[in-house]
Amino acid sequence: MWKLFVSDLKMLVRNRQSLFWVLFFPLMFTFIFGLFFGKNNTVGTIAVINKSNTQIASGVVSSLDQSKIFKIQTEDNLDTAKDEIKRGVTSAVVYIPEGFGALDPSSNKQIEIVYDPGSQVYTTISGVVGQYLTAVNYQLQNSKPILTSTLQPVTDRKLTYFDFVLAGVLGLALMQSSVIGIGVSMAQYREEKILKRITTTPVKSWKFILAEVLSRLVINLVQIAIILIVGKYLFGAHIYGNIIIVIPVALTGAFLFQLVGFVVASFSKTADAAQGMATAVTIPMMFLAGVFFPIDSLPHWLYLIVQYLPLAPLLRIIRGVMLQSSSPFLEPKNSIILISWIVVALIVSIYKFKLSDE
Amino acid sequence: MQKVISVKKLIKKYRDLTAVDGISFDVNRGEIFGLLGENGAGKTTTLEMIEGLRRPTSGKIEVLGCDIIEHRDAVKEKIGVQLQSSAYYGFLTLKEILELFASFYAKNIPAAELLKMVDLEKKANSYIGSLSGGQRQRFSIVASLVNDPEVVFLDEPTTGLDPIARRNLWDLISKIKNQGKTVILTTHYMEEAEILCDRVAIMESGKILVMDETHKLIEAAKFPFTISFIRKNINQKTLADLGKLAVVENIFGKENKYVLKIKNQKNMNLALKLVQSLKPESLTVGRATLEDLFIELTGKRVEE
Repeated sequence: MWKLFVSDLKMLVRNRQSLFWVLFFPLMFTFIFGLFFGKNNTVGTIAVINKSNTQIASGVVSSLDQSKIFKIQTEDNLDTAKDEIKRGVTSAVVYIPEGFGALDPSSNKQIEIVYDPGSQVYTTISGVVGQYLTAVNYQLQNSKPILTSTLQPVTDRKLTYFDFVLAGVLGLALMQSSVIGIGVSMAQYREEKILKRITTTPVKSWKFILAEVLSRLVINLVQIAIILIVGKYLFGAHIYGNIIIVIPVALTGAFLFQLVGFVVASFSKTADAAQGMATAVTIPMMFLAGVFFPIDSLPHWLYLIVQYLPLAPLLRIIRGVMLQSSSPFLEPKNSIILISWIVVALIVSIYKFKLSDE
Repeated sequence: MQKVISVKKLIKKYRDLTAVDGISFDVNRGEIFGLLGENGAGKTTTLEMIEGLRRPTSGKIEVLGCDIIEHRDAVKEKIGVQLQSSAYYGFLTLKEILELFASFYAKNIPAAELLKMVDLEKKANSYIGSLSGGQRQRFSIVASLVNDPEVVFLDEPTTGLDPIARRNLWDLISKIKNQGKTVILTTHYMEEAEILCDRVAIMESGKILVMDETHKLIEAAKFPFTISFIRKNINQKTLADLGKLAVVENIFGKENKYVLKIKNQKNMNLALKLVQSLKPESLTVGRATLEDLFIELTGKRVEE
């Protein structure tokens, strides 16, 4: 069986198409989300036109700059700047008119923010500018705010949207590579009669399948390592949990999805059919099981259903471990759903997935 | 003679189709036994039941003295199987595939030796995708020899190959026989069966129509002799005279080409004299082929 295991491993590494799903696809997501939401990210470029030379005017500009939320581009002419919004180069213009902040009655007292309604960036700009101007106003009036609010995160750990998505991408990668990998390759082996050829030899079916599963788990391990390393060291993801716990949890998920792959292969006659069925299984889960956004933001009736999809509890457990460093068994419901799926998929695979025709 | 395979009253039914309908036969040690017939005659199903891949509906099969249902794994150790149009792993080299399959058996032959046997030593480190059709088929056969089997099953080993590649395979199959192995093959090429097989069974609709040593079958044909010739403008009287001695066929509507099918030596001699007197452009005297017999038995052309 060692020989089968090594051969399977060699084939997995040599097969470019499967490597695409295993590595390139999840890395693509990691990079896209990392570039948008990882460290040092900005939500867009805005143009600033400062016609005033007062201290307050330059204070507005520096408060925008120090917020580190935008890339600031200094402009001269309002019309050119507006054109750039239309061309999509920038998403807003902050126009500070001549004499703004000079504090004499006739001077300009209004900053103009011109924005692209398609971009949400203007709310952030007006927030930053507004906050600064409120402080200045209080100072000018020599008063203090009476009612205020403070923000207090539940933990003092810093978590970003990228951290949330990275755990999602990890689950997505394991799902895609296992369901599609096993489903398509087993259906192809059947179509090309490789499975039948195996049954002409004395090798036991379970050894053949076990070698396939184990070799893929090794690849899954590489997958997990690469995603976490790229996420952490390239895009500054925060991983608070113990990696030693994350790995077995993730591999349990990978095992479940391999079983789903065997179920897919059992019900499809050709590799093409398996590809279609695997896509039909994974794509809805990619969007509905909480890879990119928390599923409790879905309509309630939909949430009641999708929380039971196999990927959903896996992601809840992985996020719990990775981001909160909680125990994988903190919420027993998640473990129960996951184990139930494993049992169901295992039973269907054992009864339906056959190497031979009879 | 020692029997290596014994099949008795073998039946295989699929719902309302009877694929194999109560056939019995034996295969002797060291011979090449051919199962002939059209597509769908039941050849492959029969072979796969003997190999232990399909369960018979009823009947008994013994391979090397073991009941195939009770001792399936023991039998699999000692047989080699080449499946009809089966592929091998695309991302392993030929050497790796042979080594992998060898690891499934207790007894095995080194990959290099096997590759040498089919002139594929240079391709040892190539993928199967880089092989030609003939090379692929040679590899597929040699891969069935990794465990140095006593019985080798070849299911349509030459289908889809060009004439040279096919002759190449015939050499290989004879080589396997010369190693003392028993070969059981299926084919729908009568010429191939005639050249390779010591004995053949012709199947149709799940039954064996005839079975014997190949040359005996041919000699027992209704028209063992043939004369074919090319001659323009033959008059009706001559044709009528020939018709008394033989069955006259005008091949595929080619006006000048005739084939005479003759029952016995006496008529053969008379017909030959008559044809020679016509001074034909071309004249060939031959004996019936397995194909003639097949057509005679099934009433169809093989290609149909």
